[in-house]
Amino acid sequence: MKKVQRRAGAALLIALMLVVGLAVYLVRLADDGGAWATYFTGGSPAGEIIDRNGAVLYTSDGESWDFSADETVRRACYHLLGDTRGNVATGALRQFRDSLMGYSFVSGTSSGRTLQLTVDSSLNAAAYNALAGRNGTAILLDYTTGEILCMVSTPADDPENPSSEPADGTYINKAIGASFVPGSVYKLVTLAAAIENIPDLFERSFWCGGSADLDGITLQCTGYHGSQTIEQALANSCNCAFGEISLELGYDTLVEYAEKLGITAELTMDGMQVKSGSLDWEQEDARIGLAWTGIGQHNDLVCPYALVRYVAAVANGGSIYEPTILGHGELDRETELLSASTAERIASMMDYNVETAYGGEWTFPGLDVAAKTGTAEVGDGTSHAWMTGFLNDPEHPYAFVVLVEHAGGGLTNAGPVANTLLQAAVAAGGTQAQ
Amino acid sequence: MENLPDMTGYIMQGTKYILPLLALWVLLRCVRSMLRERYEPETWAYLVDLNGTEHPVNHWECIVGRARSADIVLDDPTVSRMHASLQRDGDGDWTLTDLRSKGGTFVNGEEAGAWESVGDGDEIDFAAEAMAFREISGAERERLERRRSAPGRFVGPGVTLLILSLFQAFLALEFTVTADGEHLYSICLSFFALMAAEWFCYLFMRTLGRTGFEPETLAFFLTTLGVEVCATSTPDDMLKEVVLILAGVALFFFLGWWLRDLERVKRTRWLAAAAALGLLALNLVMGEVRGGSMNWLEIGGFTIQPSELVKVCYIYAGAATLDRLFARRNLFGYIAFSAVCVCALALMGDFGTAVIFFATFLVVSFLRSGSFATVLLAVSGAGLAGFLVLSVKPYIAQRFSTWGHAWEDVWDAGFQQTRAMSAAASGGLFGQGAGEGWLKDIVAANTDMVFAVLSEELGLIIAITAMLAVIALALFAVRNAAQGRSTFYVIAGCAAVSLMMVQMGLNVFGSLDILPFTGVTFPFVSKGGTSLLSCWMLLAFVKATDTRRDASFVVRREKRRYREEGREAYPEEYGGDDYDGEEALG
Repeated sequence: MKKVQRRAGAALLIALMLVVGLAVYLVRLADDGGAWATYFTGGSPAGEIIDRNGAVLYTSDGESWDFSADETVRRACYHLLGDTRGNVATGALRQFRDSLMGYSFVSGTSSGRTLQLTVDSSLNAAAYNALAGRNGTAILLDYTTGEILCMVSTPADDPENPSSEPADGTYINKAIGASFVPGSVYKLVTLAAAIENIPDLFERSFWCGGSADLDGITLQCTGYHGSQTIEQALANSCNCAFGEISLELGYDTLVEYAEKLGITAELTMDGMQVKSGSLDWEQEDARIGLAWTGIGQHNDLVCPYALVRYVAAVANGGSIYEPTILGHGELDRETELLSASTAERIASMMDYNVETAYGGEWTFPGLDVAAKTGTAEVGDGTSHAWMTGFLNDPEHPYAFVVLVEHAGGGLTNAGPVANTLLQAAVAAGGTQAQ
Repeated sequence: MENLPDMTGYIMQGTKYILPLLALWVLLRCVRSMLRERYEPETWAYLVDLNGTEHPVNHWECIVGRARSADIVLDDPTVSRMHASLQRDGDGDWTLTDLRSKGGTFVNGEEAGAWESVGDGDEIDFAAEAMAFREISGAERERLERRRSAPGRFVGPGVTLLILSLFQAFLALEFTVTADGEHLYSICLSFFALMAAEWFCYLFMRTLGRTGFEPETLAFFLTTLGVEVCATSTPDDMLKEVVLILAGVALFFFLGWWLRDLERVKRTRWLAAAAALGLLALNLVMGEVRGGSMNWLEIGGFTIQPSELVKVCYIYAGAATLDRLFARRNLFGYIAFSAVCVCALALMGDFGTAVIFFATFLVVSFLRSGSFATVLLAVSGAGLAGFLVLSVKPYIAQRFSTWGHAWEDVWDAGFQQTRAMSAAASGGLFGQGAGEGWLKDIVAANTDMVFAVLSEELGLIIAITAMLAVIALALFAVRNAAQGRSTFYVIAGCAAVSLMMVQMGLNVFGSLDILPFTGVTFPFVSKGGTSLLSCWMLLAFVKATDTRRDASFVVRREKRRYREEGREAYPEEYGGDDYDGEEALG
């Protein structure tokens, strides 16, 4: 008997293996449980998404779902939220379903979790209306906190009645997921490099004769500017001046600053990959290519998000809390993009732009705006209209970027959209208690 | 009545936390009662040496020898390590068999061979060690028995069952919130029937004067989870489920009663072997292919899985009494029998069950032979056979190739595993509530993926408690091995729990992509009629190992009075024939 009794212990080996297997499962569950649990939820996870003022943008019990009752809001927030079919990869429904479903190891998934975004849906609607059917994008953020108040991309769709034949670009959030030829707004990037690398920049005068000859190729300017200071050259958006500066800085410095200021860097917003910009200089020995690169007209590509992030840093003294639509639980670490003195100089020059070249009060009634426009030739005879800048107003510390594709001149086309957006933001400012 | 809808939230939230607590409480009480209480050996006779020292004979089958692993250790250099075996048959008659000892064994001066009958007062010489055999009287036995403690003194089985009933009541309450109106009645009735069944069993045991109820409580706990799985996935089948549970419990009682008589069991082992082979043959000839394997049989409108019933027969035929352990050819016969069974299952394509049988075979053959060599030989043989099966059956090979990569193919090969993992994770520790899951609607969720269904709806705690309940049964059977009356009961009990554990491991870890997905059932919990019946029958083997005083109805109270009756009931020559018959079978 005793022999058999001793052998019976062999059965315990099986029990031991079961315990080991269970331990393996528990470790895996602790590691990947959230990913497992939310994998099959489809495009309409249970939960609720509200904007910064508590307006309900999306609500679902896991089966049936509802977006905002207002179609304009639904369309304006299409890329912010995403759709239930999962077409918009960067939408909150897809990106934040873990926190929406509220997965935790202890309680599993719990339906009815509310996710608050920093975006003000009424600002989104205002920007959407201001774009008035044209393709483009607009971002507005609080440069003191990094909170994004408005993020719109067009063309958009209605998530409640999705179109069967959506227009090109409907599923892309152009604010973070696409890059465009920047045109003259890129001069802000070149300017930062110039301030820090050309010691006598502010003592110099730059000559513009309407065009410049670079090794036999003509660099066309926007007009005849004569002799200018660097401030005037930026306000005039003078290609001759910035071509000269680019040649003096050299390609390596331009690349260095594009990376340092986040234009070509690998950025993420709330864990989402942002489309990186690029500087592509094919004609290595042709100086004209280098000049255009610094001006922003050549083969440069910039993501609107990266641009507004840089401008926000300029407005905020050189550094910024990373832009977010989820909000920072607590503000901990700022990212420094450029030195405070450089930022201050660029900021005052952008202010000078609006005062002297952009119509000041006429363009932005009642607002103290600092900005830079861009008219980016895209090669088919049309141009993208850009404007980026910020409000000089401690009560309303907003930085913005507006892009209207194929719209023509920056000031005349992107300017009014920017004004509408800023006016709405300032008007709504009082209610942004949350 | 108007505020009734408001109650549902409280019910779901409250029961969510109460259920795991009750489940753990039931498990802990059972474990404490089974494993923590004192175990005292039974005493059947004494061997008295010349100094007057009494060596108690604690089992029906004992080895006398010098080795420390002998049951009665004689510290005399002339005694062989394994000198002789002393066996009591089911009728209370003792026999002595010399195990080819060097010094020989003598009963009353005459050299003993095999099956030398001994009685009270006989003088036995183990080589130079002279002993006297003393049987104990009925009165003495009763006195000794009274000194042993009965289970249930510290942990009342009635209270444990009451907690289990509460668990069932709360579970039914959750269904009142979540179930469809048309099924509500049948679901509640099913839980009520389950409660009635367990309390009937309990009261019946008490009527028989038995107080050990932990294995049944654990089985009823697991069955309750099975009812939950059925209620959430196929509420239309509730009546069938209840009928099957009652049939399973009835079979448990029948087999338990049958196992009481060791002589009867010995005589019928060949029948079990024949039944096993017959069922497998029938299956191979008339079986139906379902889900890739041909393990279904339709008889008069009922579909059964013969392989499930074969499990019971296989253990019944595979366990052996001590005398048979010493004949090597018996083991070879058993190996041949096992090989036929496993091959038949592999032919049917029932790969999972073949693995279960093979693992059970390993446990039984190790218990019988104690030889790692035999086990290793078997494993390498099986490895070769397994390789052959994999190359012949693409269906199974595919499951192996998916193993560990389920998330790379969520719409085809990893379909079930990924959904099981997703649903299991979404339940957290406390679950989404009975009937609130989505996994139940996936094909085979209520059989192959029950662990995930339980995790999703009742939470990880209860799902793990279910696994621990099976492991607790196993620890119980292993612990009882020390006090077993016959090696038959010990081997059968350990084989039954090993089978359950292996089956559970394949089921749970298969669905979680830790092992290849084999599609076997979780004991007691998975839906499936024949599986449920076989699990309850396996439980009878566990009950047969429980020799605590007045614990198990499968274990007879052996009193002197009975011995006299037994002599009349089973004439002596009957036993002699019996052994010849068995040897022939192998």
